[in-house]
Amino acid sequence: MNIDLTDEAQEYGRTAERAIEAAGGDALVQRAEADPARRGDAAAVLGELGAWDLDPLGSDDELEAAAALCRAAGRWAVPYPVAERLSRPGDLHVDGLVVVAGPAPEAPLAGLDLRWATIDLDGRCGMATPRPLSVPARKAAFVTGLDLEPLDEGGSPAAVALGLVLGCWTLLGMLDRAMELTRAYVVERHQFGQPLSRFQGVQFQLTDAEVERAGVEELAGYALWSIEGQRPDAVEDALALRLAAVEAAEVVFRTCHQLHGAIGFCDETALSWLSRYSQPLRRLPLGAAATRDELSRRLGRRPLAGLFDGTGAGW
Amino acid sequence: MSPATDTDLEAFRAEVRNWCRANVPAGWRGAQTGVSDDEFVSFQKAWFQQLRRAGYAVPHWPAEWGGGLSSAQQMVLYQELAAHDAPRLVLAFVSIHHAASTLLAAGTDEQRRRHLPAILDGEIWCQGFSEPEAGSDLAALRTTARRHGDTFVVNGQKVWASGALHADWCLLLARTDPDAPKRRGISYFLLDMRTPGIDVRPIRQATGESHFCEMFLTDVEIPAADLVGPENAGWQVAQETLSAERGMTMLELAERLGHAGFGWLLDACARPRPDGGRPLDDPVVQDRLVELEIEVTALRRMCRHLVERHDTGGAGPVDASIVKLHYSEVLQRLTDFGAEVVGLPGQTVLRKPVSSGWESGAWVLDFISSWEWTIPGGSSEIQRTIIGERGLGLPREPAVGP
Repeated sequence: MNIDLTDEAQEYGRTAERAIEAAGGDALVQRAEADPARRGDAAAVLGELGAWDLDPLGSDDELEAAAALCRAAGRWAVPYPVAERLSRPGDLHVDGLVVVAGPAPEAPLAGLDLRWATIDLDGRCGMATPRPLSVPARKAAFVTGLDLEPLDEGGSPAAVALGLVLGCWTLLGMLDRAMELTRAYVVERHQFGQPLSRFQGVQFQLTDAEVERAGVEELAGYALWSIEGQRPDAVEDALALRLAAVEAAEVVFRTCHQLHGAIGFCDETALSWLSRYSQPLRRLPLGAAATRDELSRRLGRRPLAGLFDGTGAGW
Repeated sequence: MSPATDTDLEAFRAEVRNWCRANVPAGWRGAQTGVSDDEFVSFQKAWFQQLRRAGYAVPHWPAEWGGGLSSAQQMVLYQELAAHDAPRLVLAFVSIHHAASTLLAAGTDEQRRRHLPAILDGEIWCQGFSEPEAGSDLAALRTTARRHGDTFVVNGQKVWASGALHADWCLLLARTDPDAPKRRGISYFLLDMRTPGIDVRPIRQATGESHFCEMFLTDVEIPAADLVGPENAGWQVAQETLSAERGMTMLELAERLGHAGFGWLLDACARPRPDGGRPLDDPVVQDRLVELEIEVTALRRMCRHLVERHDTGGAGPVDASIVKLHYSEVLQRLTDFGAEVVGLPGQTVLRKPVSSGWESGAWVLDFISSWEWTIPGGSSEIQRTIIGERGLGLPREPAVGP
């Protein structure tokens, strides 16, 4: 097995990252918050890269390109439901699909003139109408309640896994960037006559956070591979990734905020925006505790197959 | 403690309880949520005067200046105020603690006579210590004060001056001898905020509030009479007064955490979710609550012990650091758990009762605010260094020259 993205997918991700930067980078989310009508600015840029023609469940290459794209979008906290658009099922006439859970489903879909389908963790599908935001985007990060209309068609486990996994790739991009910003900050920031990064106590905190981030990167590749291989555990693998990603996000953002000091809570820093816009990803469709609960309910006493399932598939 | 003292204390407790029942404004939390700055300020000032009339506003001050309660009485007072969920003195905090302890420890008689009664009448103070290049390393501050006869002329920039928009006076540290070693060239000033040349700008925070301010000082003139302590000894004055009062202020906060904070958390856990279930019925939630209760109980004991040792002169050099570190991190864990329990809807609660403690039940805001404990006032990293070096006697971290 190979859980690394192909060179082409990685190059596609880098291209997307540069294109988003050229379109405003960090300013995209700031503009969208001030003027929600500009939420779609990034969609046009990604459209030029052919993002909305990708069919991630159609081929491995397209799946990996989609993952790389989500990661690039996460790096800039792009205020647009990129993962949800890319999860669009081929057989429904919709623009995107969102994984939902619980009696009062919500998603960051406010203010876009698009058609949305939903899928729950058991594969039940519906059509969703996002309610208009009742509070400013700044408070809600575009998260709004969804009015659901159930559909007869059931979705595939792969569709559930895809929706969960692409969201984690977006979150991974946010963690990448938060770590880079913090690394740069502790190298530049001098106190007591030396950079903060010279203090071992600071180094250890950052390395612990990096270990968490790197673990998510590995699992993200694995969960993607699990979808590619149409493995029966794909949804469980996706939930395991989600749990790891949400827990890692807690450690990474906590460390990044502590090491940035007070400035990290001010909107002049990109960290403040990343951290705020990571919230919907960390809490929807399920937060850490509910994800753990769902995963243990599904697994029961059966372990995840993991890398060493005895079949040696491509290993 | 002798039986006679116990009886006196119980009588005092009964007195405070009666006072709280009669005076804590009913429904103040609701009424003080989302109010304007002006309403917050007038509410705080009115509450301060109410406490003052009862003799409870500045219990830690010497009797001659309007205080004079014993440590044991102060503990009772703070326990009862917390138990009755009284508003906290947020606006006057720097005035009655930092400003007063500076004046009492290092001020002249004239400075005390001028400011202590004024503080009782509502004079508000802020702190002008931190700078863009001087956060944890406060002694690296660059704001300069150059002497011209009987006047110092101040130039520089301060950040994170909490409440500077409302302040009448500011405790200011500035460099008076640029050639001296960095801790020996700093002086401590009392700065009248009406002086020309002061530009205060609020900083917008992640929570949407602007509690902190930047302060730009351009040719600001301070009369030499407003210097506290000797010229160039400001660092020593600040060191003395910063840690002096920590015991009782920490005790107050720990009592708040134990009463209001933990109580709000239990309420949040007992509230039914849209699916009808309650977080409280989950064994994992029960475990976490028990852990937190143990930590909060231990914190309250630690604070009490610290105050008692301060009184008898038995406090160690790092006791205050241990309490500050422990409080900061318990507060962060408790508010984090609160944010987890209330889930996504909690993210949209962006207003909290402004006169409350650090935990108010607006859990996400409370959690974000908890970094106001792990970062300022000597970050958790600084506290660990102090405890390691001065408490455990571990070697200092090697300083690597440029």
